[in-house]
Amino acid sequence: MVDKILAEYGAVVLDRNAKRLVVQVDDKQLRPLAEKLFESGFYYANGVGVDERGLGHDFAMYHVFASEKDKLYLVVKVSTSNLKLPSITPVIPGSNWAEREAMDMLGLEFEGHPEPERLILPDDWPKGVYPLRKEFDYNERPEFVERKPESTPQRTDVVQLPLGPYHPALHEPEYFEIHVDGEVITDAKYRGFHIHRGMEKLAEGRLTLNQVPFLAERICGICGFTHSIAYCQAVADAAGLDWPERAKYIGVILLEIERLHSHLLWVGVVFHLLGFDSGFMHMWRIREKVMDIAEALTGNRKTYGLVLIGGMRRDIDESRKNWVLKTLTELREETERVSKDIFGMKELINRIKGIGVLPKEDARALGVLGPVARASGIDTDVRRDHPYLAYDKLDFKVPVYPEGDVLARLLVRYDEIIESFRLLEQALSEMPQGDVMIEDYTIPSGRVGLGATEAPRGEDVHFVITGVESKVYRWHPRAPTYNNLPSVPIMLRGNNIADAPIIIASIDPCFSCTDHVAIVRKGKVIWKGPLGEGVKQVGR
Amino acid sequence: MGRFGLIFKSIAKGRVTEKYPFAPIELPEGFRGKPEIDPEKCIGCGACATVCPPSAIQIHVDEEQGYKTIDLFLGRCIFCARCEEVCPAEAIRLTKEFELAAASEEDLHQVVKLKMAKCAGCGRPFDTVRHLQFIAEKLPEEQKPMLALCPDCRAKLASKILTVAARRHR
Repeated sequence: MVDKILAEYGAVVLDRNAKRLVVQVDDKQLRPLAEKLFESGFYYANGVGVDERGLGHDFAMYHVFASEKDKLYLVVKVSTSNLKLPSITPVIPGSNWAEREAMDMLGLEFEGHPEPERLILPDDWPKGVYPLRKEFDYNERPEFVERKPESTPQRTDVVQLPLGPYHPALHEPEYFEIHVDGEVITDAKYRGFHIHRGMEKLAEGRLTLNQVPFLAERICGICGFTHSIAYCQAVADAAGLDWPERAKYIGVILLEIERLHSHLLWVGVVFHLLGFDSGFMHMWRIREKVMDIAEALTGNRKTYGLVLIGGMRRDIDESRKNWVLKTLTELREETERVSKDIFGMKELINRIKGIGVLPKEDARALGVLGPVARASGIDTDVRRDHPYLAYDKLDFKVPVYPEGDVLARLLVRYDEIIESFRLLEQALSEMPQGDVMIEDYTIPSGRVGLGATEAPRGEDVHFVITGVESKVYRWHPRAPTYNNLPSVPIMLRGNNIADAPIIIASIDPCFSCTDHVAIVRKGKVIWKGPLGEGVKQVGR
Repeated sequence: MGRFGLIFKSIAKGRVTEKYPFAPIELPEGFRGKPEIDPEKCIGCGACATVCPPSAIQIHVDEEQGYKTIDLFLGRCIFCARCEEVCPAEAIRLTKEFELAAASEEDLHQVVKLKMAKCAGCGRPFDTVRHLQFIAEKLPEEQKPMLALCPDCRAKLASKILTVAARRHR
C-alpha cells in the first residue's frame, strides 16, 4: 500500500530494507504526499534538516514517518537549492518543532509554516548565524548580542502561577505557567530549551563513529543506554551490519535492566510526591538491587559505555548469570509483595484515581508515546511494532489501560516492571553462545540509517548520515518526552493546584532529553479553541 | 494487608543502607573505576588518546627537549575503559578505586613522560624509544634499519630505493 501511495506522488526510492524505506520527492509533491501518509495511519516520528553541501548536494530536509500498522519507518527526503521548502505543518502539525529547528539551526525557510519563530536558539544568538551549517565550527562562539526577552502581556482575568524553573521533585529545569481560578487550574503553558547542549554539532565536529555512543548515552541521566543502542542501530542500519545473536540478547538484558530501574525510580518519586515516603523507600530499596545487578554485569551502576557500532563490549559470564537470575526472581517476588500492600491502600489509590486525565482522542492527536500513550488506551510499543535486537524472539505483553489518569499510568508502569522481569529471565536463559562483537566491518560514507528503540519513556528515534574518515555527517536523536510534554496542559486543566506536581511527574518527563534537540509530536494537534492555545505555547 | 503489611516489611528488613564510608563497600569483579597508567609499561603509542571519547587522555610532544607526555585527566574521564581495551602494552587499566575527591586539580592528572628517539636522517625527535622497541620486536630483520628514520625520511628513503630498483630493472 505504501508503494502505491509513493508511486502516485512520484517518489524515487533511494534505499530500502525490511524495516525502513528512504525515498526522495519533488518539493511540490511533498505536502500532498505527507497528507496522504498521515491519512493512511503514519505518524510524524522525526524531522532532520541536513546541510548536504559536503556530500555534493544542496540543503535537504528528511521527514521520518512511522506506522505501527505497516511496521515501517519511511524517510522522505526533499532537497532545495534556494533554502526554501514547503512546510508540512499545516497538514501534519507534528512537524512544527522539527521545521522550526531546521529554521534555527540551518536557516531553511518553510513556506506556509503557521508560526515561523525561534524555538531552540536563545534570544542573544545573532541573526544569520546557523550552528548546524558545515562552515560553523563546533567550538565557535558567535558575537554576543544584547538579550531582549519577549515581554508577555500580563493577563488580568486569570491568576498566573509559576511552577519552575525547577520541578519540585525531578530537579530538572522546566517552567510551567499555570493559570488558576481559585484552586482549579484553567490552563497551563510550558517553556523549555533551557539546557540545549549542542550534542549534534559536537558529534559531527569532534567525535568519531565509535565515540558517539558515549556521548549519546549522556542525552539522559536515567535512560541513556537506550540512546546509545538506538545510535548504534542507526549506524549498523546505514552500513548493513547485523550484530551477532549473543550481542542482541545482551542488548535486551541491559535495556530491560535500564527500564526496570527507571520505572522503579519513577514509582518511588511518585510516592514521594504523594507524601507516601515509606512506599518511596521500599521502591528504591528494590531499585538499589537492580543497580547492583547492572554493576555486576557491566562494571558501572548505569550500564553505560557498553556498546559500540559492532556490538557489545562485554560478555556476560555464565557464573554470574545464575546469581543474576536468582536475584531477579527474589526481586520480582519482593516487588509483587510490596506492591500488593501498596495497592491495598485505598487512600493512595483514591488520591491518584481520576486526576490528570488524558483522553484517548487527545493522546492520539498529540501523538504521545510509551507508557503515557498506553495508559490512554493506545496500543503502541516499538519493541513489538518495529522489533530490534532480539525482541522478536521473546514473549512479552504490552499493557494497555483505557482510563488515562495518573493511576492508569502507574499501573502501566507496574505491569511493565513485571514484564521486564519476565523478559530478563527469558533473555538470560535463552541467550545463545557466540561472539558479542563484529570487529571487521567498513562503514560506507553518505548512507542514511535509522535506529528506533522503546525507551522507558517511549520511542527514541535516531537518524544518522555517515561521513568520511569514520565520522558522522549528521546525527539527530529524538527523545520521547518531546511528544509527551504537549499533553501536560490537557492533563492539568480542571484539576487542583495541589495535583499539579504529581500530574506533571506522571508522564515521567525528562527535560534534558527534550532540550538537547527540538522535536516533534506525532498526529494531529487540535489548533482551535481553548485546547489549542495551550498546545501552541509548548516549547516557545 | 495495606499499610500494616508495609510496616511489618520495614521491621523485618531492618536497615538496608550501607555503613559506607565507615565500612568498606564491596565492589564486583570488572568494576570500572579510576584508570591507572603503569609508567613502566607505557610505550607512548597514543592509541588511548585516539579512542578516548571525552579527550581525557591527551598527548603532548616537546620537540626541543625530546619528550612525549601522556596526560590523563580524571576530571574528564567517563570510565568507559576504551583505553584499557586498545592499549597494546597493557599499561593502562581500570582499578576499583572510586574515591576521587582531590584538593587541587593537579592531583587529578597522571602524567607519563617518555624520551623520544631522534631521526637518524634529519635529527628530529619523532617517536618514543619504547614504541620503536615495541615495533622492532615484531618486524623482520631486514626492515629494522627503517625504524631509525622519521616517517618523512622513511618515505624519502623508500622512494629512493624504489627509483634505484626501477632504474636497474630498466
